[in-house]
Amino acid sequence: MDATLDIQAGLDAFRAKLQEAGAVGLDACVRCGLCAGSCHYHRADPVPENVPAHKLALVADVFRRHFTPLGRLGGGRRLDEEMARLWLDAVYGRCSMCGRCSVNCTVGINLPAAFRAARAALTAMGLTPRDLQAVVDLALATGNNMAVTKEDWVDTVAWLEEELQAETGDPEARIPMDRKGAKILFTVNPREPKFFPLSLQASAKVFWAAGEDWTVASEGWDLTNYGLFNCNDREAGTITQALVDAMERLGCETLVVGECGHGFASARWEGPEWLGGTFPFKVRSFLEVMDEYVREGRIRLDPSFHKTPVTLHDPCNLVRHGGVREPQRRVLRQAVQDFREMAPCGTENYCCGGGGGQLAMAAYKERRMRSGSVKAGQIRATGAKVVVAPCHNCIDQLSELNKEYKLDVKIKSVAEIVADAILTPVPQGEA
Amino acid sequence: MLPLLPAALWCALLLALQVASARAMGRRPVHAPAAGSAAAGVRYAFTGALLPWAKESVREHLPTYAAGILYHLGLGAAFARVFLPWRSLSVLALAGSLAGLTLLLKRILVPGSRALSRPDDFASNALATAFAALAGLAGLAWVPGAAAILPWACAALLVYIPLGKLRHCVFFFLSRRRLGAFLGRRGTWPPQE
Repeated sequence: MDATLDIQAGLDAFRAKLQEAGAVGLDACVRCGLCAGSCHYHRADPVPENVPAHKLALVADVFRRHFTPLGRLGGGRRLDEEMARLWLDAVYGRCSMCGRCSVNCTVGINLPAAFRAARAALTAMGLTPRDLQAVVDLALATGNNMAVTKEDWVDTVAWLEEELQAETGDPEARIPMDRKGAKILFTVNPREPKFFPLSLQASAKVFWAAGEDWTVASEGWDLTNYGLFNCNDREAGTITQALVDAMERLGCETLVVGECGHGFASARWEGPEWLGGTFPFKVRSFLEVMDEYVREGRIRLDPSFHKTPVTLHDPCNLVRHGGVREPQRRVLRQAVQDFREMAPCGTENYCCGGGGGQLAMAAYKERRMRSGSVKAGQIRATGAKVVVAPCHNCIDQLSELNKEYKLDVKIKSVAEIVADAILTPVPQGEA
Repeated sequence: MLPLLPAALWCALLLALQVASARAMGRRPVHAPAAGSAAAGVRYAFTGALLPWAKESVREHLPTYAAGILYHLGLGAAFARVFLPWRSLSVLALAGSLAGLTLLLKRILVPGSRALSRPDDFASNALATAFAALAGLAGLAWVPGAAAILPWACAALLVYIPLGKLRHCVFFFLSRRRLGAFLGRRGTWPPQE
């Protein structure tokens, strides 16, 4: 570690990120330790370093030393190179920011708020794990986190449009690009055009079946934002601004975030805070939109297409921190014959282990896979053959867990399940 | 009662300073439109979320939870016993002290709890447990002179409260309110299911 750390920059970033809302929790913990079992890291590897209260105590020590009267008299611990190393291990290496500890905290502490402040401090001191920072840098430099060129993106969409026409038998089926004044601007995870084009095609089929007025953008289409993970609000805001610019350029009413937990949290919840103002448009999850289509009868589903047991993973940023719990359940109950909840589920569900930027940090891969054993156990207990995950980061992690723990399941997005179950609409004029 | 007033003033002053330190970290205006109600989240945080079946962490540790509840009730009774010579308060304080003692023993004997603990955890528990026990014994007249030293024990506890984790007597409410408002705005609390 560099011995010339800019500690003051770290403390300034810590203060700016922590705020009063996070600070009150740092004097509230009683180290009862009941949070231990709520953390998937601790469930998989029950060492003291994995107890959320232990991680919080490291952050509280620095807060007390630098920001309270008792600290100025010698309480707490100074933020120095050694403490920064401990923080790095605790908040990047042993935490996916899933927030399960906070809803299980007997006191009621928002632990991720404190961990985000510590991450912000580490980032300000240049200590963000390099591979995580590289994802942020790539998004800032190229407009998306996988450096997909505009030409490749446009070509992929055009190709998928042809596939959609072939699948639906409708030569008028479209994946509109840059349609000004469309009601919906749909944003996607770069993993979709890069590795999972069928996922994007499935979303397009849902829009087509619902007769939606929608578009994708040639620029400002990436819903991901790893600024949520390095906790650099300036970088996160710049990435969010690309979506805002696309909305303004195209004049759309609603920004619909594709299936992605952290992407939803970034655009729906954090984006307005990063940019310092309420957006002049609505931000919705694609799950809410699909749920609306089903409830309004705009799409009809045939559950007989999915006869095998299906279970649902709850992405932390979408459910526990996002408040979107029921739409995906209502949709799946219409789309499959045998829907099985994990235990626990919903806001109490476990993180898959891939959140908080963990997928991008190679140094912690072993811990990530080990912590994922909790999710693997949950999946196995359901007996399901298909795991639905409304988040492409989660899908990546679940796919790795599938191999590692020999789960023998298929991992799919909600849109893929829905698209397969859609009863093809009768073309107008033929009804 | 002589030592109580300065001890209470010390306690209140330091706690106020600590709350002020937290407030000095600043507040950011919230811009994202709410999906739920912050007020409903706060209400749930102080009601349903505290019930033993509401949290996995409690469901899996019911004896510890029960001991914690009894401990806190006992401490409340012990404080009241300093001013009110009611026998029922002493009984509750004594029961609370026994609960506190079990929690202290757990912290000492269970490796996971011991590893998580700091000197303040032992000191806070020992001091509060001793105070509750004294309040119990004072009312039940089992220990001569216990009633006379009870105010001094109370004063010692008040002096220590802002110096260690006992400060959660204030920050519990501030933190839980914040968490309730946060999860309430986001539509997570109260639970939809």
